[in-house]
Amino acid sequence: MSDFKQQLKALLSEAEIYKGQGLVDEAKAKYQSAATLIRSKENIKNRDSLLSAIETKINQLQKERSAANQAVQSPRLSSKAQNLIKNLFLAADDEGKDDAALEAGIVLAKLGQFDSAITEFNKLIQKDNLRVAAAKNILQCHLAKSSEQEAIDQYQRWMSDDGFPPKQLETIRQYLEEILQQKGVESRLPAPKLEPQDRPAADLELELEKDDEEEFIDITSIAITFESGPHKGKTVEFEVNFQSGNMLSLIISKDEADLLEGLDDGMTLKEIQFFSPIAIFNGSAVVVSKTQIKSGPKQGDYCLDIRITST
Amino acid sequence: MAIFNLKKREIECKIVYYGPGRCGKTTNLEFIFKSYKKQVRGEMVSINTEGDRTLFFDFLPMGLGKIRGCDVRVQLYTVPGQVKYSSTRKLVLRGVDGVVFVADSLEVRREKNMLSLKDLQNNLKDYGKSIFKIPLVMQYNKRDLAEQGIPLMPLEQMERDLNRQLKVPSFPASAVKGSGVGITLKECLKLTLKSLQKEFKWAQ
Repeated sequence: MSDFKQQLKALLSEAEIYKGQGLVDEAKAKYQSAATLIRSKENIKNRDSLLSAIETKINQLQKERSAANQAVQSPRLSSKAQNLIKNLFLAADDEGKDDAALEAGIVLAKLGQFDSAITEFNKLIQKDNLRVAAAKNILQCHLAKSSEQEAIDQYQRWMSDDGFPPKQLETIRQYLEEILQQKGVESRLPAPKLEPQDRPAADLELELEKDDEEEFIDITSIAITFESGPHKGKTVEFEVNFQSGNMLSLIISKDEADLLEGLDDGMTLKEIQFFSPIAIFNGSAVVVSKTQIKSGPKQGDYCLDIRITST
Repeated sequence: MAIFNLKKREIECKIVYYGPGRCGKTTNLEFIFKSYKKQVRGEMVSINTEGDRTLFFDFLPMGLGKIRGCDVRVQLYTVPGQVKYSSTRKLVLRGVDGVVFVADSLEVRREKNMLSLKDLQNNLKDYGKSIFKIPLVMQYNKRDLAEQGIPLMPLEQMERDLNRQLKVPSFPASAVKGSGVGITLKECLKLTLKSLQKEFKWAQ
């Protein structure tokens, strides 16, 4: 019996320490081992009350875990904190400064700070190599704010202010038109006048795509077929709000939060259809994170990040 | 990449504390902030979640004074350890000059240490850097928990698991008590400055 007591005491003290360290899974495993140990001894007087106390501890851990998951990712960012994020990353090195600025903008957008993100992307519009990526992200910010008209107006402003080479503007037009079509918004965006050398030549098309600054093809939306959870077997289409290489961010309305139940961090999604302006293809992806947006116009909605693993 | 201002004889470098979630990276920085007041050049900035876990990074600016005629400034960062913050970790690692890998000595965290070290290697690789070449120091944290009867990995095992190939300087530590924190940082600074000295040839 004294062995039993010692074992139980050791397990419970380990569990408490792991809990104190924030190691929820490890703490839970120790509590469960303690419960199994108690169950294995039938002649203990207070067996039921011990088991009930452990169950309470486990439930409390689970509550803390889900509270942390809900609370996590999107803090209210003061403008000072936003500036710090931008400056710290931009100061890192000169060589990748522009890419860092783009990434900092995407980070702000993912946190629901759309206006600040647009300001950052607007600075990058001047850079030839980042103009298209910055413009697409600006449009996505307007769309994420549920302002399709503002996205259209923005395109038209670019069209009239002559800042974009026609070929880049055409890429952006096709990108926006595809998204608007998917949203069911009827809009005919005026196309820029392309120079003869900019017009697509069928036999050169593949090579031109390769030469473009984009390493990854633009994905405008994806269709996920749920393999488990409450939506097993169901296929749901999601709009892609932000893309950074093979990372896709989807903003999901709080009204559709139940869809997230079947999408846990680290989960591999084997059956995904990727929709791009030029093709539809199948592939797989991994859920990187799901976060709740805590401020701004999308407050309460969720941001789901997935990484494309194969196409 | 460190910023070297030849005219002003100033060098600014970046050291990142890397490691699995809850291993004690932030605790390291908090101890440095409290204990090295002379060198600390501003407030420690943390962007945390409500559950007090690192969301983006912690940041602590330090000044080491003049070394071989050069004013040396250091920026210390931590990465968010949780697996899901992969893209933020990579972003924080941009332009890194030296790394402290904080490993958790708890037996139950053995696999997490290895996964995090692999993650560090992959992220460095994406920036064209090799984990075998970058100034790197290992810290085996939470050694104090042995006093409470918690199963810890022996240091030899941690060396085998994490440092068998790298063979970098390693130190046992208890960030919560402050032991091993200073020596880890000093060794990393020594390696980093040596590497930058070689790169910029500033002492010649």
